[in-house]
This record gives sequence, structure tokens and C-alpha cells, in this order.
Amino acid sequence: MVKTKSRRVTITGTALLLCLGLVTAGSSIVNAGAATKKVPGVTATQVTVGATEPLTGIASAGYDQIAPAMSAVFKYVNAHGGVNGRKIKFVVKDDCYGTPGSGCTITNPNTATETHALLGIPVFATVGSLGTPTQDSVRALLRGDDVPQTFVASGSQDWNNPQTYPGLYGWQPSYNEESKIFAKYINATYPGAQVCFLGQDDDFGTDGLAGLVAGGVSLAVTDLYSVPALVTSNGASVGPYVAAFQSAKCTVVVLDTIPGATDATLGAALQLGYSPQWIISSVGSDPQTVDAPFVGKVPTDPEIGAVTFSYLPVTTSNSPWIPWIRKVMTADDSEFTSASYANGVINGNVAYGAAVAVSFVEALKAAGRNLTRASFEKALNSTTFTQTPSLTPLRYTPSNHQGLNGGYLTTVISDTAEKTLTGTIYTTESSNTSPVVVAKSHSAGIPAWLK
Amino acid sequence: MNLAWTRQRLPIAIGAAVVATVLSFVSAATTKEGVALSIAFDVAIACLTALTQVGFKANHPVVARAALTLLGLDVAIFITFFLGSSANFNLATGAAMSIVLLGLSFLTGASGQISLGNGAFMGVGAFVMAIWANHHATTPIFVTLLIAVVCGAVVGLLLGLPATRLRGPYLAGMTLAFAVAFIFILSSFSSWTGGDSGLQLPTQATAPRWLLGLFHAGTAPLTTTTLYLTDVAIVVAGVAFFFMANLFASRVGRSMRLIRDNDVAAELVGISLPRARVVAFIVSSAYAALGGALFTLINNAVSPSTYSFALSVTILSLIVIGGIGTISGALIGGIIYAFSANVITWITTQTGLNPQGNLASQLNGIIFGGLLILTMLFAPHGIAGAVRHLWQRVRSRSLG
Amino acid sequence: MDPFLTSRIVSDILTGLTNGVIFGMVALSLVLIWRSTGILNFAQGAMPMFATYVGFALLSYHWGYWPCVVACVIAGLLLGGLTERLLVRGLYGKPEINPIVVMVGFLIVLEAVAASIWSSTPRSLPSPFSSFDWHLGGKPLSLSPFTVYEIATALIVMAAVAALFRFTKLGLQLRASALAPEVSRLLGVRVGRLLTLGWMLATVVGVITTILVSGGFFSGLTPQVMDGIFAYGFIAAAIGGLESPVGAIVAGVVLGIVNQFVDDFVNQNAVIIIALVILIVSLMIRPSGVFAKSVQRRV
Repeated sequence: MVKTKSRRVTITGTALLLCLGLVTAGSSIVNAGAATKKVPGVTATQVTVGATEPLTGIASAGYDQIAPAMSAVFKYVNAHGGVNGRKIKFVVKDDCYGTPGSGCTITNPNTATETHALLGIPVFATVGSLGTPTQDSVRALLRGDDVPQTFVASGSQDWNNPQTYPGLYGWQPSYNEESKIFAKYINATYPGAQVCFLGQDDDFGTDGLAGLVAGGVSLAVTDLYSVPALVTSNGASVGPYVAAFQSAKCTVVVLDTIPGATDATLGAALQLGYSPQWIISSVGSDPQTVDAPFVGKVPTDPEIGAVTFSYLPVTTSNSPWIPWIRKVMTADDSEFTSASYANGVINGNVAYGAAVAVSFVEALKAAGRNLTRASFEKALNSTTFTQTPSLTPLRYTPSNHQGLNGGYLTTVISDTAEKTLTGTIYTTESSNTSPVVVAKSHSAGIPAWLK
Repeated sequence: MNLAWTRQRLPIAIGAAVVATVLSFVSAATTKEGVALSIAFDVAIACLTALTQVGFKANHPVVARAALTLLGLDVAIFITFFLGSSANFNLATGAAMSIVLLGLSFLTGASGQISLGNGAFMGVGAFVMAIWANHHATTPIFVTLLIAVVCGAVVGLLLGLPATRLRGPYLAGMTLAFAVAFIFILSSFSSWTGGDSGLQLPTQATAPRWLLGLFHAGTAPLTTTTLYLTDVAIVVAGVAFFFMANLFASRVGRSMRLIRDNDVAAELVGISLPRARVVAFIVSSAYAALGGALFTLINNAVSPSTYSFALSVTILSLIVIGGIGTISGALIGGIIYAFSANVITWITTQTGLNPQGNLASQLNGIIFGGLLILTMLFAPHGIAGAVRHLWQRVRSRSLG
Repeated sequence: MDPFLTSRIVSDILTGLTNGVIFGMVALSLVLIWRSTGILNFAQGAMPMFATYVGFALLSYHWGYWPCVVACVIAGLLLGGLTERLLVRGLYGKPEINPIVVMVGFLIVLEAVAASIWSSTPRSLPSPFSSFDWHLGGKPLSLSPFTVYEIATALIVMAAVAALFRFTKLGLQLRASALAPEVSRLLGVRVGRLLTLGWMLATVVGVITTILVSGGFFSGLTPQVMDGIFAYGFIAAAIGGLESPVGAIVAGVVLGIVNQFVDDFVNQNAVIIIALVILIVSLMIRPSGVFAKSVQRRV
């Protein structure tokens, strides 16, 4: 029985040693001492921020340029000494808009996973993360970790909820605001016309639809498309909707579509020989992005003549920000992988990214050297930023976190550019009852320290 | 109980427990932590002594399995207190995925049926969890999980009934069609399922208050919520593994394996083939639904695009690599799922690839697909099977 | 006549026919491989996709459309043959799940490698025919030069495969090798070589399908381009019966037309759901497919 006894002894001995080892390990970790109260993501010389973006996949057309543009601005600011003595480190994670397929390089993309990865770095805040359903799904997570979720790239009204999510901020004008401005234009320019609507089957489409209706437009046909169906059908799923618009003889069609869906719609209309007056949301109207699949295949870009909305200066305007953005992008455009950003041609996505980054940098500066989450949110809630690229000033209050609220109507004149329609800038608030008025204050140029 | 054992081993065990408890209280910073530490060690010691008793496993198999499960849970939960939020989140999703893998392991390995639809069954559980929570916010978590499991089982029954008549490729085809159609079924009921955006849980699960301050819980980068959810996921996974282990060894499990290996013989012995096949389907879909419901709990939200056909492919790949028909294979698959992203990132940095470049972003697919092919060609029983094979060869060599 | 031809019903039939012949070709390839080697080829969409990428990579050397098509076909032949020789050989006689898993793995690898070499941005191919619908009496007819090209090519390919099997010695040998490999070997038929040939043929049919699907103005070549179509082709093959090439084609065409009607008259979500229901019902009635002959097969 020698074998059995020695076996028993070795087993119990191992078990005991294991216990002792675990106890010592456990106690040493426990007694490691509480870490000094630091702000996660902030050191004396650096502040780390992050974003989840659709770098690949169905929503990547155009949107994959937002993060590189933000990065270029941050690098420019870092090269000029940073903000309040800190350089900005920007980490981007690809979440494919949470939808697999269409070229997404992640098999099972999930925004929560990517956000957790950012939190593990850790980041001080997220800036410019994109998408309504994607960012909705991580609101509670970021609030739980007390991480500001700033300048969400979406026009949903979900970001305007300071009671429940005090650290959550939108940035771009809401879909509701944009649609009410469209409604004013349609009623003035196309009174009595048959109007049809195609929108995405989430906040984007439903808020936009509500804004049109609130603005007094009566719609002949309304359809909502689903993004997964678009992916599976390689774009063919919107065909029947366009055919329905044609049968209803709509002469004006409003599109609340992402660029991939805008392309599918314009293509379907081409095939049917249907050319109404297109009115396209700023979300999916950028000429460079939308025209890319048609270049060289059709004699004229099908988007030319479409009316859209812009809250940033168009590249054909004389805003000083346009050459500034061009300068910053050419200084370091190493992170652009998409071929459509070439030769320094600014498109809507690049302008968007640059504007968001400038807004963030100015907010950081306003928060001061003693940077904490509280000081940052206080700065956001009490400062009016009049010197950002956007047409109207950026302002938050403790009860309104929506963001920008104005812009002008533009028309697409080529496969790379838009031109202003009348040049009048309108503002309105994010509710069905607030009226559309001419803006009283405009943005005031570039601050000296950014030049 | 072996009397000789009692005389020799039990005092040692008790002694070790006392020593551990004393040391815990001495080295812990607060009484709360002392209690927690001593519980952790005492449970581990108890399980270890039970498991190392000669003949215990043979005489009391169910208790032995319970002890093993308890030991595993003890160690796993202990570890979660010392990881960051990110690692815990990965662990939680890995635990949830391992439950799904268990179900498919049973279906394919134990009863020989092919299913490409387990991603959809996961989705059933995930959405039931979210829809129920949105309408009945006060139901305790474990009850909602149970409801999700029941719904998953019902859907499994609905699909399992036609499945009994189908041979391999046709069953694959039907489950494939279901997996592809699932997202569109969700879209059709978008008023319930929240359309493309999906649903969020009305309130995030709140951790019990005594968790705060225990070791590192509550200080960045570990939030009590993530810790709590991870531990819930691990406990549920432990229970699921326990049940599956018993099922494998039971008469039901044995008759399944007989059907897989020789269905004519099984029928001769009186086993009803259609009934056994349906039972297997129900078990696998119930497990998948449980995993999906946990996913929703961990992410605090559910999105329809998560439950695509690609997920079903991932599930199949993971269990194949882990080891079809085994329980340890499900565990291995879950761990791979939890940490594959980190490993890929590590590989990318080690080889100096451009992380934004084409090759780096496709690395996941290349490695996964390649592993799948190699495993099936050279080690069809997966990692678990290969390890078992090696272990047997080492054993036979040392004996012989 | 004009109003009839441009009516909604006829439009749907024509569009459905165009999609249906594509499904039919995919289903045909699946049946070819199943009948010749007893394996379910899950990579039946991905392999031709890869070969198509290889062939059209020559576009950057200023090759024209038709020379590239020839290059794609050759690449398809090579890929099909190599796959059979290297990957599939070791899978005959193994449990059913093994080849399914291997081909799924192959699918994942092919899509990942294609994306890493050529990126997943949709690549538009030159179009030999216009994709814009003809107009009759001012309304669009759901046919364009390109869709006629699609339908005609598909019909020619199907007829060629049918003729090969029915009227040539090679076809006879192929069917014999699948049905009774040992007997065929005794009779001097080189079974191994024929199995390889079966895979090559199926891959070429797939390559032609992929070229048709990703050509045309409104589509493009991506690594995932054949994923959705493979699913419907698989469903068609399962409905028609994996043993029957004719059944595969008929089921594919019918499925395409039914899908289009459902899309138009119900909504786009219903398309796959109704396809699933049809699949389940048809498998309940005929578990081996509608066109399967249950007992003997005449060689």
C-alpha cells in the first residue's frame, strides 16, 4: 500500500501548498494599496480618448473617413503643443455598425465588446462614436463607468437625455431639425406636389418622417428599409420601394438614407428611368461618397441636382475653415485608407470629423488644466463655442445635450461638391412644435491658438 | 465512506481548512474580505478532499460532478475579482458561449445530427429575455433566464419535429434556412423586437451592495456591475455544465450515442428514434437560448444583427475546434471565443503588421478557418480529443 | 401587348426568372458535387468567387472582359481540381459532419484571403451589355441586355451539362463512378480522376454564375457576393432533391419567381421566411427532395 499512501500524502500536501499559495497571493494583491485617486485616461502629459466607428462593413462607405479626419486634427493640435499641456491620444475601434457582412472584417461585430476594449485602456471619454443603435446599446455601460460619451455621430434625440445620462452629448443637428427645414423648403418650392419618403427603419427614418409631417408635408407613399435586408440583397431590397414611388407619380422624394442605401435608391431609379427631385438627408448625401459607384459608368452623376442640408460650410464657400481643414489633412493624412480621400479634396465626412475634433479640443481647453470628468462636463454645459467649423454656434445646457441646431440647404453640383441654395442659415429646436427661423448668430472664424 | 480514509485524510483536510481560514482573516484588509477569502479556500479544500478520495467518483458520481463544478466555480469567481472590466466582460461572453457550445456538442456529438441554426436559437433566448424584461421589469433575473430557456425549448420542439425525418444534408439545409431567415423573422415583428436597433434592458442589473469594496470591486478599471454579471454568467454556466455532464452519463445520453453509432441496433433495442432526435434538438436549443439570454444580460442590450448566420458558423467552428461530443470541448471553445480578439491583436503587434491594413483585419478569418480545416482533417475530435488521446498514450506508456 | 409585357405580373416573372436561373445554377453545382462525390460543398459560392477575383485581377493589365472571363474559367478549373485532390480526398467515407465543417472552414479562409489581397470594397467589373431596362410604350420592361445575357448564358450552361451527362461517355462514367465506384473501377474507369473532374466542372459552373452576378452595372464583386445566393441555391437544391440536376434547376427557377412575387406583394422580410416554409413543407412531404427517385437509379 506504499503507493497509495504516498499518493495520498502528495495530494493532500499539494492541496495545502496550493491553499497557502493562494492565500499569500490573495493577500499581497489585496494589500497592494489603494491606487491614488486618478482620473482614468488622464496623465500629466496626455489625455486618451476613444471612438467606435464603422471602419468596414455596410456603413463604412464614407463614414470610415471620420476617424482619420479626427485623428489628423488631434495630431495637428499635438504638434502645436497640445491642450493645456496635454497631448491627445485617440484610439479607434471598428464595430461595423454592429452589422456583419458587406465587407465587415469582424465575424461577429459588437459595439459593447469594442467599447469594453476602450474602457480597458482606459479612455477619459468617447468622442464621435457613430450610430444610433450602436451608441444606444452602450449608454448604460459608459454611464456606469462614469465615462463621458461625447459628440455621438448620429442625429437621434436619444443623446438629449441629461436627466438619465448626464455624460452623454450629441453634436450634429437632429433628424427632426433637418426634416423640418426640408419641410419648409418643400412647402415653399413645391406646393401641391406628390411627395414620397424612404427612410431607415430606426430613429433616423422615424424621427425624420415625424419632422416632415410636423413641418406640414403630406406624403403620398412612405417606406422604411432595413439595413440587414439591404446587405443580404446587395442593395436590391429598395427596388420595389422606388417602383412604388414611380407608380404614385411622386415628383419629390425625400431620402433619410445612409450612403449605401442612397446609392441603391439612385441606382434603382436609374434603372427604372425615374428622376424626381431628390431631397437627401445630410447623413447620406455626401457627393464624393454617393457618386463613387457611378463614376465612369453613367454619363452624369445621378445625384446632381439633389437638394440636401449642411451644418458645416460647403467646400465651395469662402469659410476660412475650408483651407484650414485642407492644411491639417495634408499635414498628416497617414490614417486615411479609403481611396476616395485623395489629392486634398475635402468631402463631407472629412469636414465632419474635423469639426467634431475641433469642438472637442475647444471643450478640453475650456475645462482647464485641472481636467476631471466633472470639470469637463461643466465646461461643456456652460460654454458657447462660437469658433468651430459649424455654421451655427455649438451650445449645451444642463437640460439640453442635443448639440448643433442649424444649417443651410445646398444642392449637389458635381460628383465632389455642393453649392448653397440660398445661403440662408436656419435654426430650429428638436421638437415637433418648435418653428424654423432664420439664424441670429453665426460662427466667428478660427481661434488664434488653433491657426 | 472508507473508514481508513476518514482516519487519515479527514483530519488533514480539517487542519488545512482551519489554517486557511486563520490566514485569510489575518491577511485580509477587512472582515468582509476575510470572510470571502476563507469561504473561497474552505470550499476549495472541501471539494478537493472529496474528489481525491479513492473510489468517490465511482460510488457517488453525481456528487463528484457537483464537487468538481463547485471547485471550478470557486476558482473562476475568485479570479474575476482580480481582473479588469474588459477581461471580465470577455470571460462573461465566453461563459455564455460555452453554454451554447455544450448544446451543439450534445446534438452533434452525442446524437449525430447536424445543426447550422444554433445562432438563431441563441437569438430566441436573447430576445425573449429582452422582451420579457421590458414588459415585466421586476421579475428576478434567474426567472427571466428560465423563461428564455423554455421558449428556446419550444422553438427547438417546433423545428425538431420536422427534423426527425431528415437526413444529414437536408437537416443542414433546413437549419441553414432557419438561421438565415431568423433576422427577417425578427424584422417582421419589429414592434416587439425593436426593429434594426434592437432592445435594451430597462434597468441594468445592479450588483448586490456588499460586492462594492470587496477586493478591487468598484475601483477602476473594475465596475461592480461587470463583476456581478460575469459571476452570474459563470455560475449559470457551471450549473449548465453540471446538468449536461449528468445527461451525457445518463441513460438518455447513452441511448443517444447508440443512435449516433448504429441507429438500426438502437431501434432493435427499442429506442424510439424520432423521440430521441427531438429530445436532442430540444436540449440543444434550450442551451443555446440560455446562452443568448446571458448575452443580453451581459451586454444590457440585444441587437438583431448579432444573431446572423455568421454566428451559427462561429458556434460550429468553436465546438469543432474544442471537440465535438465532449464537455471539455465546450469549455475550450468558450475560452477561445473569449480571448481570440486579444490573441489576434497580440499576433498583429508581434509580427509588425499594419493594424489597419487588409491582412491584419482578415487575420481572424484566416486563422479560424484554417484551424477549422486542420482540426477536421487531422484531429476530428478537436483539442479535447487530442488531449485525451495524448493522455491515454502517456498513461499506457507509463503502465506498459 | 405592350401593357401586358410591362405589367406588374410579367415584370415580376421576368425579374424572378433572372434571379431564378442564378439559383438554379448554384443548385446545379451543388447537385453535381453531391452526386459525384457525396459531399455537400459549403464553399460552392466562395470558391468561384476566389477564381473570379483571380481572373479579373488581370484587368489591371488591361485585359478585356472576355479574356478575363476565360482566365476566370481556367482559375476555376484549377481551384476545383486542387481542392478535390488536396482537401476533399481525405474526407470520403468519413462521418457526414467532417466534409461540411471542412468546407465551411474553406469558405471562411477563402473570403478572408480574398479580402486581404483585394480588400472588401466592392469592385465593379466592366459590363459587356447595358444593364438599363428596355422601355416599351414609355414603361420599363423588366429586361435589359444584361439580364438577357444572364438568362441565355445560364440556359446554355445547363443544357451543356445535361448533354454532357446524358449523351457523352464521360458523362456516363461520371454517373457510374458516383453510383458504384468499385464496380466502375473494375470496369476500368479512372474513378479518382473523374471525381476531380466533377469538382472542376461544378466550380466552373459556379465561376460563370459569379461573373453574371457581380457583373452588371448595379452590382460589384466582393468576397461575400455569393453568400446570399448560395443560401437560396442550397434551399432550391434541398427542395428539388440533391440527387436530381433537373430538379435543382427547376426548383431554382421556381424559387426565384416565387421570391420576387413575395417581395413585391408582401414585403422583403417575408421572402426568406416563405422560402423557409416552402422548404420545410416540401421536405416533410418528400424528405429526399421533390424530384428524387427513391429506390433505384438507372445509370
